[in-house]
Amino acid sequence: MKPSDEFYVGYQPHAPAATGRFARNVAVALLALGAAAAAALSAGQRAFAPATFEFGAERDFVGVVEVDPYPTLLVKRPGEGSGWSRYLLVAFGKHGADELVGDRAGQAVRLRGALIHQDDRTMIEVAAGSVEPVVLEALANAADLPGEETLGVFTLRGEIVDSKCHLGVMNPGVRKTHRACATLCIQGGVPPILLARDADGREARLLLVDAAGGAVNDRVLDLVADQVEITGEVRRLDDLLVLRADPETYRRLE
Amino acid sequence: MGLEYRAVGWNRQKKLYDLTLAAAVAVYLAAFVGVGLALKPNATAETLLIRAFGTAAFALLHVILSIGPLCRLSPRFLPLLYNRRHLGVTMFFLGLAHAALSIVQFHLFGDVNPLVSVFTSNAHYGDVADFPFQPLGLAALVVLFLMAATSHDFWLHNLTAPTWKALHMGVYVAYGLLVMHVALGALQAERSPLYVVLVGAGLAWVLGLHLYAAGREAARDRAGVGPAAGEEVGDGFVDVCAVDEIPDARARVVCAAGERVAIYRYGGRLAAVSSVCQHQNGPLGEGRVIDGCITCPWHGYQYVPETGESPPPFTERVPTFPVRVRDGRVQLDPRPRPAGRPAGSCSVKGAP
Repeated sequence: MKPSDEFYVGYQPHAPAATGRFARNVAVALLALGAAAAAALSAGQRAFAPATFEFGAERDFVGVVEVDPYPTLLVKRPGEGSGWSRYLLVAFGKHGADELVGDRAGQAVRLRGALIHQDDRTMIEVAAGSVEPVVLEALANAADLPGEETLGVFTLRGEIVDSKCHLGVMNPGVRKTHRACATLCIQGGVPPILLARDADGREARLLLVDAAGGAVNDRVLDLVADQVEITGEVRRLDDLLVLRADPETYRRLE
Repeated sequence: MGLEYRAVGWNRQKKLYDLTLAAAVAVYLAAFVGVGLALKPNATAETLLIRAFGTAAFALLHVILSIGPLCRLSPRFLPLLYNRRHLGVTMFFLGLAHAALSIVQFHLFGDVNPLVSVFTSNAHYGDVADFPFQPLGLAALVVLFLMAATSHDFWLHNLTAPTWKALHMGVYVAYGLLVMHVALGALQAERSPLYVVLVGAGLAWVLGLHLYAAGREAARDRAGVGPAAGEEVGDGFVDVCAVDEIPDARARVVCAAGERVAIYRYGGRLAAVSSVCQHQNGPLGEGRVIDGCITCPWHGYQYVPETGESPPPFTERVPTFPVRVRDGRVQLDPRPRPAGRPAGSCSVKGAP
């Protein structure tokens, strides 16, 4: 019987021979095509940044809380004169840590949290209710605390991202597909940073503050995940770069 | 065909169909996640799953959209159509998994209701390149949900075939929304030209296949009318073709008075019925006469040629048309007979 003479009825137990053979061949071809497409689409994904969120692996940190413009924890590095490390602090979900440490400015505390890190930038997701005051001997000499250094005025181009996702909670935590999340995070108090890229593709992360050094969260929401150009004063706060410029002067690049 | 509504009227071929479908989905997801974990060590599991579910749903939609026109081009594809609804429901659940994970990932645990956030967290509605892509995906999911929820024959029967069919044409709206969702989302975020090429090729395939099948269909409609091209031959009848042009147990489809009519020949007799199956508007004229009944090629719904009624206890009914033979030529009255007064049949030799 030629295939054209066959007549397929689905509720009959068996398909006509040639029709059944053809259907099997199509099914096998679709299976193979699907597997190949899946492999190719997965392999073709853009490279993922070496970012890490140590989800569920909480540990203790002892340091000094600073809350302006964004909550950070200054932790003394081991060894005499080895300086301080500054950790950005955030809370669970898409929230900053203001409510958790806002009344601890300048105090030494012990807190529990999970590390979020990419390259040399590290953040702590603070566990709710874990912050408690401690006595820190290093604070006896306040001159040990790091100071701020002005590096000059620069014009930088890059993307405004939320520091929490970008540093590791989500990967990728950049570009338009992440805009909604980044907007919610920054709206919720997560510190915004400029992921600046130069012509050679080198990246730098700068914490965004206004000209007076205050938080800018609510004023940058409309520019999140866009390519922007910002001219402002760059300062080094120990190992953290800060870019001072009023958000009204940010320029969206077409 | 069935009398009672059951969740799934299982039979051997449906089981084979669904097993193959489940295997294909499993192989796709495993390949995507497996290759991702192997080649992208910094990728997170949730990102790979979101992408695996999303691309699987989009790829499956291309298969779903291809089946209709492929069946118009060759009846060998009909086994793919028989249980197409399960493809659609599977595609909806893949899309739902993609959407649920994305909403948890990108919109949950903030200060805004996650479903509100889908629409408000990117407010660049006036900008073409920056246009929010997530609301487009959610809108497509709503359309797909409506189709998946009404995919059962219970809804087909209660909504009536034309309404059900119109509702399920929403798959093209969903496809358009998803193409935009992908173009304004993933395609802008990825660097590899592979994604643009594949989405473009998929769109070209779906559009091209539909246009080609439609062109073939239109040509077939034109060719289906007899040499006299519907010329009236008296008493309201039009000439169709020579009797010998209709093979036994099969039909000649003619487009008369704006409607496709199937003139079946079976056991030395001729009968004409609407070529539109009452089940899913399938091409009844491309069916066969099996066990004395006209049998639809899509899902096997059956009708008695003389009455247009499904054999008891089934209750489906298609319009019938008077047909007669004069000088070896088949003539058709393209005015459908009213319900309850079936057109009957005539002998191929011209006798009533």
